[in-house]
Amino acid sequence: MTGRSLALALRGFWYLLLVFLYAPLAVVVFYSFNAINSSARFAGFSLTWYEQLFSNDAIIGALLNTVALALTSSLIAIVIGGMLGYGFYRYRLRRLSWLIWLIYLPMVMPDIIFGIAEMIFFIAIDERLGILGPGLGTMIIAHVTFQVPFVALLVNARLLALDPQLFEASQDLYASPWQRARFFLLPVLSPAIVSSFLLALTLSIDDFVISFFTAGPESTTLPIYIWSAIKKGVTPEVNAIATLMIGSVFFMALISLVVQRRPSASSTTNRSASS
Amino acid sequence: MSGLRRDTRYLLATTAPGVFFIVVFLVLPSAYLVAMAFLSNGPYGLPTAPLTLDAFRELAGFGFLGWSPGNLYTLIRSVWQSLLATAIVIVIAYPAAYYISRQPVRWRAVMLLAVVVPSWTNQVIRSVGWMNIFAPDTVVSDLAVRVGLTEPQMGLFPSQFAVIVGLVYNFLPFMVLPLYAAFERLDTEQVEAARDLFASPVAVFRHAVFPQTLPGLMAGTVLVAIPAFGMYVVTELLGGGKATMIGNLVARQFVQASNWPLGAAGAIIMIVVTLIGLKVLRDLGRRVGGDREVLL
Repeated sequence: MTGRSLALALRGFWYLLLVFLYAPLAVVVFYSFNAINSSARFAGFSLTWYEQLFSNDAIIGALLNTVALALTSSLIAIVIGGMLGYGFYRYRLRRLSWLIWLIYLPMVMPDIIFGIAEMIFFIAIDERLGILGPGLGTMIIAHVTFQVPFVALLVNARLLALDPQLFEASQDLYASPWQRARFFLLPVLSPAIVSSFLLALTLSIDDFVISFFTAGPESTTLPIYIWSAIKKGVTPEVNAIATLMIGSVFFMALISLVVQRRPSASSTTNRSASS
Repeated sequence: MSGLRRDTRYLLATTAPGVFFIVVFLVLPSAYLVAMAFLSNGPYGLPTAPLTLDAFRELAGFGFLGWSPGNLYTLIRSVWQSLLATAIVIVIAYPAAYYISRQPVRWRAVMLLAVVVPSWTNQVIRSVGWMNIFAPDTVVSDLAVRVGLTEPQMGLFPSQFAVIVGLVYNFLPFMVLPLYAAFERLDTEQVEAARDLFASPVAVFRHAVFPQTLPGLMAGTVLVAIPAFGMYVVTELLGGGKATMIGNLVARQFVQASNWPLGAAGAIIMIVVTLIGLKVLRDLGRRVGGDREVLL
């Protein structure tokens, strides 16, 4: 094959791949506007399923739970994970590198085992102490646990890319730990904090298995609602709910593209400091 | 605490909350799950003393009615389906990652994002997408009927085929990203040198390109094969009884069957097989890569 036809074949392959990647999502969006409940025949454009969706209290509740869970867990995770990432950066020289395995554990643990282990643990605690009964609280704890390592690694990576002299400079100027955090670390880490917040949000919204096993009867999220609707065989608004969730993911993708494209002030400081 | 240096105290304060979360809410629960596998199954499906190995015996297929190979088949099927999905993912991701790495720089980030974005949507929703496509009487199902792959009115799911498609769809980005990273760093001088020596395209690939992308390939294989082995959602929604994997077997003991010790024993087997898989991949990478450390 000549180089030219190889390039052409690759281009064709790429477009086929895009079809493969987006067909399942496109089909969901398309049929969410279908007048009838079918994914085989399109009987005309209609907003029936969206009307049903917004008049269904269970779905609205699930939507609010999903948003509350994602926002709360992500906020907690960026604080705890950010501190952990910073701590690891400063501990590097000391003999605590084995702690890194603790960070990898939540990342390599199969979802299903993660979820089940937390479920039986929360049930046992609830039986004995009467706290941590399954609900939004246990879900937030579970989500924070799997978000923290990702945040810690992102923040840590950002710190490793900095010039170590910057830290010495901040110390030479007799900055208190608080001042150092406020005037040096926070500005320098803000891109990493923003991107790890977005990552934590996507991780939370993407998760089904761990939520499913730690949820209580009152803390159904949208994915759990869809799941039980499918299991019960009642699926009219499923495509409409899924479309809303796909829409929110695309919105976040757009934000992350804009954030990446924007030349940030702190990365310029970094560059000029190291040159 | 005055004995500790001030510095150390601040450092402890920064790491303690994160370590606390992971230890209390993951390490402890996992230890509890492991311990549960050695308990007996009580009258209401609640684990009780005494300590036994009954759960493992039952998991291996020994029951009231003698030995049945069902669970063993499930384990073998889990390994097989995750390996098959990984192989297909490699075949798709390799040319894709190469293609992206050859594009102008400003396009690459957008193309990578295009590959990754579908995986940001919820697993359940991705499976719903394929359920829509594979439902009876859709364009794809009609095509499958005409080719003779399936009966009319049957649709393409639940089936093992649908599970493999779902697995490939779920994990493709995890292979494209590390392979892309490898292609982007590719030392083109080696490739040029091989060409100058009149090496055939196959030889160029084998001796100049492939070894350089091996670390990316191995990293991708770990990121795809390991989670695919533990898959729950895709098999539950797109697979029937003939595509069940060990994750479903384990979950069923907690959700429907209420045999927690049996489920816990299954979880231990899952973790053990995962660790063996990691070891095998590591050794394989070392052998193919000529004793060079290519993984972890």
